[in-house]
Amino acid sequence: MIFQIENVLIFGTVQGSVLALLALGFSLVYGVGGVLNLGHGAFYLITCYVFYITSRVLFINLIISIILSLIIAISVGGVIYLALIKPLQGSHIGVVIVTFAFAVFMQEFVKVIAGIKPHYISPFIFGSIEFLGVTFPIQFIFVIIGSLILVSLIGLFISKTKIGKSIRAVSQDREAALLMGINADRILMITIMISALLAGMAAILYAPTSAITVDMGWGFLLSAFAVTVFGGMGSTSGCVLGAFIMGYAKTFCSVFISPTLATVFPLLVIVVMLLVRPQGLLGKKEV
Amino acid sequence: MPKKIRRKLSDAVSGSKNFFLGIPRATRNLYKEIPHQVKSFKEWIFTFRGSLTILCIIGTILIPLITMDDYITTILISFLIFSIFAASWDLLAGFTGQTSFGHSVFFGVGAYVAAAFVKMAGLPWFFSMIIGAVVAVLVGLIVGIPCLRLKGPYLALGTMAFSLILFNLFMSGELKDILGSTEGISGLPAMSEDLIITFLYILIIMIISFVILIIIIKSNIGTIFKAIRDDESAADASGINTTKYKLIAFMISGFFAGIAGSLFSLNSRAVNPSVFLALYSFYAIVMVALGGLATISGSVLGAFVYWVILNELFKPLGMWGTVFLFFPTLISAIILVIMIRFAEQGILKPALEHLREFYDFLLGR
Repeated sequence: MIFQIENVLIFGTVQGSVLALLALGFSLVYGVGGVLNLGHGAFYLITCYVFYITSRVLFINLIISIILSLIIAISVGGVIYLALIKPLQGSHIGVVIVTFAFAVFMQEFVKVIAGIKPHYISPFIFGSIEFLGVTFPIQFIFVIIGSLILVSLIGLFISKTKIGKSIRAVSQDREAALLMGINADRILMITIMISALLAGMAAILYAPTSAITVDMGWGFLLSAFAVTVFGGMGSTSGCVLGAFIMGYAKTFCSVFISPTLATVFPLLVIVVMLLVRPQGLLGKKEV
Repeated sequence: MPKKIRRKLSDAVSGSKNFFLGIPRATRNLYKEIPHQVKSFKEWIFTFRGSLTILCIIGTILIPLITMDDYITTILISFLIFSIFAASWDLLAGFTGQTSFGHSVFFGVGAYVAAAFVKMAGLPWFFSMIIGAVVAVLVGLIVGIPCLRLKGPYLALGTMAFSLILFNLFMSGELKDILGSTEGISGLPAMSEDLIITFLYILIIMIISFVILIIIIKSNIGTIFKAIRDDESAADASGINTTKYKLIAFMISGFFAGIAGSLFSLNSRAVNPSVFLALYSFYAIVMVALGGLATISGSVLGAFVYWVILNELFKPLGMWGTVFLFFPTLISAIILVIMIRFAEQGILKPALEHLREFYDFLLGR
């Protein structure tokens, strides 16, 4: 029993860290531009496969391949904004359809490049570690520490730097921010790039612990959406809090009840939250 | 019977309330309009659209009959099935404005239920198809009720969540005994010995579905759907119970998507969890965007372009590598982006205009 609880604690922390990275970007983009980016899972997918190809097929140095895959993810985010989201900002549904098409495109593109078979990325350091009687791969430590550092860096970035303050300004009141001379389009582009960076970092940290497949983007998109709904649309702290609660709840389900329920869990959260408290845990009430 | 009671009864039946025996008024008026539609059928055949439709139907029947080629018939069958699917999405998204990204839910549920009834209960395919569609209607209710609180992009993601969850449920090993896990259900009996007969069955079902869909669109209920799409609060203010009509849209759309799904599994004689993938919702969206949003007949053109032209263009390349088999979806994703970006009205309307000029030229007008 105690062993299982320890299991839930450790694996839940790992899940929560990954979800926090994914949902933070998703929620930021929603807050700034009112854009629900269905291509968010695709950022994760691209980074995974670029990382796989550079590190396992081309045998490039680990650090260089990490930097390369992150750069590609960020530039894809920028291109997506300029080519797809910016021209269609007037219609919300147009943006959703176009980003959906982008996600499908990336999935098929990856199929063409790497095939349908699952691939494996080697972790940074092989081996496992024993903590509180639970054995887990060393990569998990990278996931937790990396996520902690990144989330706090993003928090600092948003509260301290000029761009971060503009991000907050645009998400609070777009018209007022425009009148203050903030280029809202540029801010949205930067936010989408940040979200691509965060999804990419989640991919680099978490992908080495399991197989990568072509259709995994959708599952991560769903989790990010569930966490965002749970924590409150556009609320940064709610997002991180929601991610960890979700991570623990999911692992609790899969350890104590059944793994199938854990996969259904995000949907239950979405439905219950939307019925009971549509603005989310820490979100502001929408008029 | 005293007059008072009689009057009360007649008031209850045709009173000021919007509902009669639970059926909304507009649905009831639907039946009144059918004779009128049938009467004008003769005139309609000789109009431009009518003659074009009849020509297309005759052409679709003749191609497999003349060539007697099983391969061509199979392609045409999938084209017909997916045109029903696309039209059902168009009713929900194009006409009612409820953009669902989880349409594969209805498709997959229809496919699974029909397959299960044929395999386990040994029912004839037609009844299992109807049962599959009815279960899809119930699923439409289940999906519709929580999702009605959502608007626009949230609705899209909320419905997509349903399809992902069902995919995970059907894939899971724990429920293998009930849901069949990755193997799904296979080894169904064929719909008919002869492939051509199967083709004709599906063609008839497709034509009936389209006639019903077009009647729905042209009736009062269709007008209400469009009112909800154009301005929901205005529709609400003019006394339309938007919640009820949105649910009705979900149910009608679910019914036809369920029919498409059950035909899909009955025709391919097997079904696996991949029918719940977001890819199938994507097919519907691409086909409708190609044909043009809010044109029921446009989805036929879209389905034709996708399943017959795009798919067959890359089939020969498949010999050099399986890679090319993914190209149709890849390219249709690009096409979808281009259509949404530059040509939101689709290709049906411009194509019809050009054809119309040609038609007038032929008649010497």
